[in-house]
Amino acid sequence: MANLFAVAPATIRPPLLSALETAWSQLAEPGAWLTGAERTAVVAEVRHAWNCGLCNERKKALSPYTVAGEHEHLGALPSDWVDVIHRVATDSGRLTQSWLHEVLDAGVAEDEFIEIIGVAILAITIDAFADGIGVEHAALSTPQPGTPPRERLESSTPGPGWVSTTAPENAGPELKEHYLNGRGQFNIVRSLTLVPPAATQLFGLLDCLYMPNPSIRELEGIDRSISRAQMEFLAARSSLLFGCFY
Amino acid sequence: MRLRVSGEHTGNEYDLHSVVVGVTDDSSLPQGDLMNAFAEGVCNRNPTQTEAARKGIVATLGEAAMVDAAAVIAAFNAYPRAADATGIPIEEFKLEPTADLREELALDALPSRH
Repeated sequence: MANLFAVAPATIRPPLLSALETAWSQLAEPGAWLTGAERTAVVAEVRHAWNCGLCNERKKALSPYTVAGEHEHLGALPSDWVDVIHRVATDSGRLTQSWLHEVLDAGVAEDEFIEIIGVAILAITIDAFADGIGVEHAALSTPQPGTPPRERLESSTPGPGWVSTTAPENAGPELKEHYLNGRGQFNIVRSLTLVPPAATQLFGLLDCLYMPNPSIRELEGIDRSISRAQMEFLAARSSLLFGCFY
Repeated sequence: MRLRVSGEHTGNEYDLHSVVVGVTDDSSLPQGDLMNAFAEGVCNRNPTQTEAARKGIVATLGEAAMVDAAAVIAAFNAYPRAADATGIPIEEFKLEPTADLREELALDALPSRH
């Protein structure tokens, strides 16, 4: 288990600390489609993306798709992976379906895409929490050995967005807990379910950072030191800063 | 938007434009200015703004509140990216109840509106 935030200047509630440490450990483990080394390389690349000149130029442009060039990258991953990682990190609000089609047409498997963004987003999230509480980003973990099974989930179907997902009614035991309490009605909960570990790892952390079921009134049974209104302001304002409609 | 829902539950009225423009003076949200500065600092990767807001929240609400605020902001570094990278649309059951709000805040004009 990683020893994250051991020197944090603030006390982190134990369930949250445990979830952060679990998520960080999972980033270096083999996934369903990526090896531990590939997943660790995605984490390194997503941190590198913030200083990419091409991404900075695209961010300033009226449309990021009018600016050509090559990403400044670490050289460990295919260029199409790098483009996915950098765009998701630096300009996610302007991703388009046609861009995704280009990525898939270039040879990135849909399942690989889901795991790549799942790892990138998980790393961004943990780093953002570190930035918030004022500690250094965690050192990269040593990649764990093992071969990902790379098996397509037969129960997946297209949509509701641009990628295939596993609907709650089609979900097997690997997604049973993920879909508890009827939260499969929310499309965001379905978003990464083509690759169940990607979905369960990300939401395992998000459930502790935010809450498992936002449908509850106020903070019934939820132990937080800010009000529900303050939480929802932070949630909505952060989403808007990324240009997110959803 | 769940901020509006929270206000309906508690009887408070929040200025939802504050979410769009980041101005919280009239929103009646306690410590709204600090919350806004904290969200902007982390999401815009501005360590100076983040540090100032962090200190302000600790001073007014305490350390645990600062951690919980950082946790929500971190979570909402994830949800938008997961939604926008996969083209997840808003749920059908949310469309009608949010129509007026989306028009008022011009949310339908966002590029990520799928």
